[in-house]
Order: sequence, then structure tokens, then C-alpha cells
Amino acid sequence: MNVWLIAAAVLMFGLIPCGIVVFTRDAINRLVGLEMAGMIETLILIFLAQGFQNPNFYDLALAMALLSFGGGLVFARFLERWL
Amino acid sequence: MSGAAHIAIEVLLSIGVIVALICCLGLAIMPDFYERLHYMATVSTITTVCVLVAVVIQEGWGQATLKTIVIVLVLFFMNATLTHATARADRVRKLGHWTADPKENIPVVKSGSGGTK
Repeated sequence: MNVWLIAAAVLMFGLIPCGIVVFTRDAINRLVGLEMAGMIETLILIFLAQGFQNPNFYDLALAMALLSFGGGLVFARFLERWL
Repeated sequence: MSGAAHIAIEVLLSIGVIVALICCLGLAIMPDFYERLHYMATVSTITTVCVLVAVVIQEGWGQATLKTIVIVLVLFFMNATLTHATARADRVRKLGHWTADPKENIPVVKSGSGGTK
């Protein structure tokens, strides 16, 4: 187990406060928690790709970053117009 | 890779992870919506740059570094856009419009007392 995998394991604890915000606050605050969780998950995927020494895994992190960006924008517009 | 490079990678990753954890904690602790929004910026700048430098030190200029640069750029611009879109959504939800109204009475909000709880 190298330093990258340890960093990924430690960073996963950052998802707990994001989960608390998502599960306990109102809709617009849940969106903030979701966006933060998307960034943390992207960083965890980078750490895992580097820890397992497989550059192909970086595509997962890139896909996660792009999808969380699009998802956040869609949710923000949805909350703005319809909820 | 030399011992100094190993130490540099460990220090950079420690800084990045600790900053990210503090920001996640701040996200849950802060009482105000707009205060909460600010904690995303630190993760998308300090943590991502630390991770990028650590990858460059370990891998040199290669496929992993190029993909990490793309991811860091996406996160950097994503945060600015999402922060604006989310704050805008909150304003429209509360006031019903986004554009400034000259007749609108904007209250002076003291720190920690405004925004969506």
C-alpha cells in the first residue's frame, strides 16, 4: 500500500460531512454538498489511478469531473426554475 | 526517484488531503448557505494544484500528467461556474428574479445571519 492509496482512503472521510449536508439540509444546500462530493470523488479517483499505477484509470476521474459539472449545472437550473 | 522526491510527494499529498478534509468539515459546520459555497473554492485550487505537482514529480511529463492537468483545469473552471449557478439559483428561489431591481431594498446582512439556513 503506497502513499497514494493511503491518501485516497483518508480522503474518503471527507465524504461524511458532504453526506451529512446532503441528508439533513434543504434542497439548495444539498446541491452544495453534492458538488463538493463530486470534487472529492474526482480527487479520490486520481489517487487510486496513481496508486494502482494505471494511467487508464485517469479517464474515470475525468469522466467523473465532467459529469459532476454537468449534473451540478442541471440541478442548479432545475432548482431555479421548477422547485 | 530520490528520497527528496518521495518526501515532497508525501508533503504535497498531506497538505492537499488535510485542506480538503477541513473544507468538507467547514461545509457541514457553517450555518449559512453563502458561507458554505466558499469552501468548494479551496478544494478546487489548493488541493488540485498539490495533487498535480505530486503527479508531475512522480511521473514526469507523460500520459498521467497530461490527464491530471485536464482534470485540474476542469475542476478549476467547474467550481467557478457551479458556484455562480448555485448562488444564482438560491437568489431566484428567494426573490423570483435574478436581475437587479433599482427599487429593490437590499438588506445589510451581518456575517452568519443571512442566506438560506
